[in-house]
Amino acid sequence: MGQIENIALAAGSRVLVEELVYSTAMRMDEKDFAGYLALCDASYKYRITAYSPEIRKLMTWLEHDHKGMKLLFDNLPKHNSDQSMLSRHVTVYTVKFEDGGKIADVVSGLQVFRTTNDGGTTTLFAVGKMHDRVALGDDGARLVDRTIKLDTRMLGIGFHIPF
Amino acid sequence: MARNRQEWLEKPAFPNTHFVDTRVYTDEALFKEEQDKIFNKVWIIACHESEVPNKFDYRTFHHPGGAELIVVRGEDMKVRSFYNICPHRGNALLYEPVGNAKRITCIFHAWSFDTKGECIDISRGKQGYQDRYECKDAGLREVRTEVGFGGFVWVNIDDASCTLKEYIGPALDMLEEHMSMDLEVFHYHKAVVDTNYKLWHDTNSEFYHDYMHYFNRATGMMQPGYFDRKYTGYPNGHASVGSMSIKYDAYSGSQERAVGWPGLAPGGWILIDIFPGMTYNLRTSVLRMDTAIPLGPNKVIIEFRGLGLKSDTPEQRAERVRDHNTIWGPFGRNLHEDLLGVHGQGVAMRERTDSKWVIHGREENSTIHDEVGMRHFYHEWGERMGRKPFDPYGDNRLAKTEAA
Ligand code: FES
Ligand SMILES: [Fe+2]
Repeated sequence: MGQIENIALAAGSRVLVEELVYSTAMRMDEKDFAGYLALCDASYKYRITAYSPEIRKLMTWLEHDHKGMKLLFDNLPKHNSDQSMLSRHVTVYTVKFEDGGKIADVVSGLQVFRTTNDGGTTTLFAVGKMHDRVALGDDGARLVDRTIKLDTRMLGIGFHIPF
Repeated sequence: MARNRQEWLEKPAFPNTHFVDTRVYTDEALFKEEQDKIFNKVWIIACHESEVPNKFDYRTFHHPGGAELIVVRGEDMKVRSFYNICPHRGNALLYEPVGNAKRITCIFHAWSFDTKGECIDISRGKQGYQDRYECKDAGLREVRTEVGFGGFVWVNIDDASCTLKEYIGPALDMLEEHMSMDLEVFHYHKAVVDTNYKLWHDTNSEFYHDYMHYFNRATGMMQPGYFDRKYTGYPNGHASVGSMSIKYDAYSGSQERAVGWPGLAPGGWILIDIFPGMTYNLRTSVLRMDTAIPLGPNKVIIEFRGLGLKSDTPEQRAERVRDHNTIWGPFGRNLHEDLLGVHGQGVAMRERTDSKWVIHGREENSTIHDEVGMRHFYHEWGERMGRKPFDPYGDNRLAKTEAA
């Protein structure tokens, strides 16, 4: 293959990867958790981390595999939670292909906005970065691993739905 | 039957100890008085010793009485605390929440202090002050500091107060054996909530609200033995709830718990409330510490810490982190519910809402759903404030007369 074809292939793959990342955010915004999990590989791992300068430590705030995510989603109706809407604004910054283009290492910027049900006030809820591993195969792109590295640590009363 | 306003304001049909006037949660003047008569008199947790492990390590702390503090470990490894204010023109001496400072130098005009609070340099002192003012006049204000009861750093603004040991008394006896080894903070976050600090402490003092947590309904309340657990009240307003076996398998998805906590039976739970806003909570493999720091009658910072053993292997630590965060992390199952509850109280009870009473009337032989924990707290509150929690301004008979 010539160089032009390689570039075209990479660009095409990048579009697939970006669409996957954006789709996961859209599914979560819609609270379509089954749709979200359908975009994730069976080996999916998810975590939210934040660095605390106060204790000089990297903290893990949530950590689940595919099964754990499903359980969390299934239990949501049983919890008493803030019902505000979240809007995840994601920008894919870099996509690096590995393993002959079968794996993509993706870094995105993340901003999460919260909109109240009463009056619809929107405020910025959290900012951070999203580090994804995406598998590319004949059946398209699937999310294998996601680490949300939050800058924001003040989340008020918190939230039980992951970002 | 729904009530009209007159009936709404009428005193509840309980003894006076079994309800409080909601002004104790909303009144600005009462809050300032609490700062003077309570927060500036008692021992308060500022941080944990593991947050200042090395000499010259410091940590800043917003004291609930109002003062900004520096907690710093000296060259002699002793932890001391000072007001975080420069004696010259009132600048904050340290701006960062944490750091290491052999010398604390004010950025404004470069006056310097050591970790014992002594002023060690006044820039161009002689030229400006001649012999009228020198380093010996410019020491920092030191605040009494003791390390103990799990390695926490406690501070007391009152120079004449009792010792920490006297203040705690027997309240932490049940936990003592579980805190004999060195502990380390692995989780820290704060929440600012528009509510009164006492409402958070109340939530930590009653288990009746297990109805709010699906998790606790499913794992605790349905299990034999749940209703046998008892509250014990101690001097100075502290209270404990005895160990309770939690059946984790009842919440689908909970795995075997392996790490545990030295000396704590699997499924054990010890919760101890220290007056006026600190809670030790030992459960599964984690010690959680809540510190409520009021900013006003309807605003509180709650600091959340998760602690493990300093000797943890990475695997053990990872399991403690998981145990902590599935329940108590900012995205966990329980914490957001507890915070949503007190947020709702802050909405319903803020000033001018015409709220009037909060009822602490449950009597179940001091067992788990008894509200004796809160009653014990408000007894102490009343003593220290010199006011009746059910009638803080002595004007509630008016409502009674109205109703008559
Ligand atoms: S205000 Fe600190 S040196 Fe002047
Ligand atoms: Fe709770």
